[in-house]
Amino acid sequence: MPVISKSALPTPIEGRAVGQPMVEIRGLGKSYGRSRVLHDVSLEIRNGEVVAVIGPSGSGKTTLLRCIDLLEEFEQGEIRIDGEAVGYRVEPRGRRVRRPERELAAARSQIGIVFQSFNLFPHMKVLRNVIVAPVRVKGEARAEVEARARELLARVGLADKLDAYPAALSNGQQQRVAIARALAMRPKLMLFDEVTSALDPELVGEVLEVIRQLAAAGMTMLIVTHEMQFARDVAHRIVFMDSGSIIEEGPPDQIFEKPTSERLRNFLRRYHRACVI
Amino acid sequence: MSFGWNFVARNLPLFAEGAIVTIQLSVLAILAALVWGLVIVLARLSRWRLLALTATGYIELVRNTPVLVQMYFIYFGLAFAGLPLSGFASALLALTLQNGGYIAEIYRAGIESISRNQIDAARGLGMRKLLVLRLVVLPQAFFRIVPAIGNQFVVMIKDTSLASTLSVAELMQAARILTDRTAATYEVFVTLAAFYLVMTAFVTLLLRLCERRIAALR
Amino acid sequence: MPSVLIANLWLLLGGAATTVELSVASATLAALIGFALAVLQVFGGALLRGIAEVYVYFVRGVPLLVLLFAMYYMLPYSGIDLPPTLGGILVIALYFAAFMSEVFRGAILAVPRAQWDAGRGLGMRSRVLLSLVILPQALRLAAPPFVNTCVMLIKSTSLVSVIGLLELTLSGRQIVERTLAAFQIFGGVALIYFVLCYCLSLYARHLEKRLAYAH
Repeated sequence: MPVISKSALPTPIEGRAVGQPMVEIRGLGKSYGRSRVLHDVSLEIRNGEVVAVIGPSGSGKTTLLRCIDLLEEFEQGEIRIDGEAVGYRVEPRGRRVRRPERELAAARSQIGIVFQSFNLFPHMKVLRNVIVAPVRVKGEARAEVEARARELLARVGLADKLDAYPAALSNGQQQRVAIARALAMRPKLMLFDEVTSALDPELVGEVLEVIRQLAAAGMTMLIVTHEMQFARDVAHRIVFMDSGSIIEEGPPDQIFEKPTSERLRNFLRRYHRACVI
Repeated sequence: MSFGWNFVARNLPLFAEGAIVTIQLSVLAILAALVWGLVIVLARLSRWRLLALTATGYIELVRNTPVLVQMYFIYFGLAFAGLPLSGFASALLALTLQNGGYIAEIYRAGIESISRNQIDAARGLGMRKLLVLRLVVLPQAFFRIVPAIGNQFVVMIKDTSLASTLSVAELMQAARILTDRTAATYEVFVTLAAFYLVMTAFVTLLLRLCERRIAALR
Repeated sequence: MPSVLIANLWLLLGGAATTVELSVASATLAALIGFALAVLQVFGGALLRGIAEVYVYFVRGVPLLVLLFAMYYMLPYSGIDLPPTLGGILVIALYFAAFMSEVFRGAILAVPRAQWDAGRGLGMRSRVLLSLVILPQALRLAAPPFVNTCVMLIKSTSLVSVIGLLELTLSGRQIVERTLAAFQIFGGVALIYFVLCYCLSLYARHLEKRLAYAH
């Protein structure tokens, strides 16, 4: 398995004090019509930290991720990235206004997101998938971006697939391209939304390995996952969500071995392979 | 420029008579096409290759030639061959033959859209092919077919306007007579368009109601 | 031996050439207008969307022949001096623009939502997202139904024979009036239309197979 060396990756923590809060979420609330999807969610993610979010389906994990990346609107609360409130602006008279698309897009270009269904652009070859955003969104020079893209694709083990169309790749390969595509934007934060749930079991390992190496290189990450053992191995902190709220959070050992809430205990019982209770 | 309401009021009977013929032609044609389409699709799906190929050839033929040419072919062809058919009958025949082809394809799409799994399940329960067709395939296919047939009916109503070229006294012909006679072309065409819109809107509304009933049943 | 048909074949082919010219001109115009209408319907505000929807509704409820006649009879009265050929092309284009708009609109909406997410997640703004990600995929999806609509359009050009444009159908009618060999001549006319339309239909089916993505 190719190893991603720290120096080869874009260093997101250059000039950033490790341990300083990068993402601050306070009182986040969201509803879809009558149903409450997120309820008073507050969370802090520090520079260089890897946070894993676990919980049953429908607990709001994916919605939380999408709100952070401003792909969804939220009615209550605020999200701050490096101290700046994103998504909404409070007017002098107290009215909440969604920021213009320009600012939303700018915020999104600093955050990398990888989806469960990879979402590669089917009409573009692999290399173009990776370089299109840095060139057309950030206006970077094509030659530079291409060099970086080739390196990234090599690091995720797909150097020989540059000229292939996504349809010719396996699911695991497509997901690794999706990760390379997100990394090409040199984001300060990476969001992973159940990125292995749609993969054949034998392909899960190669994707998890890429994420492991990213974590080792110091990338700040928020990972929503069902892979309990992986979460335990790679995360600095585990957050357990259920029915739209954060029920419990803490270091992996505490969460998996000494869960305090009843709901977390019930949830873990269904994944007895990962915990010791 | 004021709209000649008097003109419209005076000539409304003429339009109405034309509209009645249009409706007669449309309804007869769709009913005939529904039956003819069934014959075609049965031929298309039959196990005898020659029959199936002939049906496919027929469908491609009527789908790739204009209705107007088909009408002329029948009307003038028969007239000069010594077996004259009235304009109405020629138009009816042409519309039936054409739409029969389209409706056969609608039937086929409806039948083939029923997933293989259901048919397998039914046969696994011991049902024989005919029973499967009757109890599982046709009821469900019916629900998918109705909207498409409704759309075809709307297309058909518009195609009846072509019968005016065969001097059939339908709606379009009434308008042509009036434009020849008078100078009130604007009023004539607005009224003409209004009549067609009312007819097609009525059919579309009926279709929506049917679709809602169908959705409620599922 | 269809001798009358063969004797007049050259005339018919001349008419066929006119049919092709009319079709290409109308189809191009219809595609452009239809695409604009589709964009209005998908991305426009309520007012623009409403106008586009009323237009499509009107066109789909009124026969093309009515519109052709209206253009033919009403324009001279209104003082506009439009040559019938141009008028025919315009009317057919405006008529089929409504059908084209439905094709394009369906195609844009058929691009999976996930593609929008992916583009936005990379920080793309609307213009880049649409031009690089959404529209290329939408146009591929639109290609087969677009070609099928063109087949409908070619058949509809036969209607301009009624307002005196010398295309394939009118050529046929004139020859029949002269020779009375209706079955032969109209059979030949139908055959020529069939060749034109069937080839396009086959092409549409070919496109459908080639351009399908497994999303």
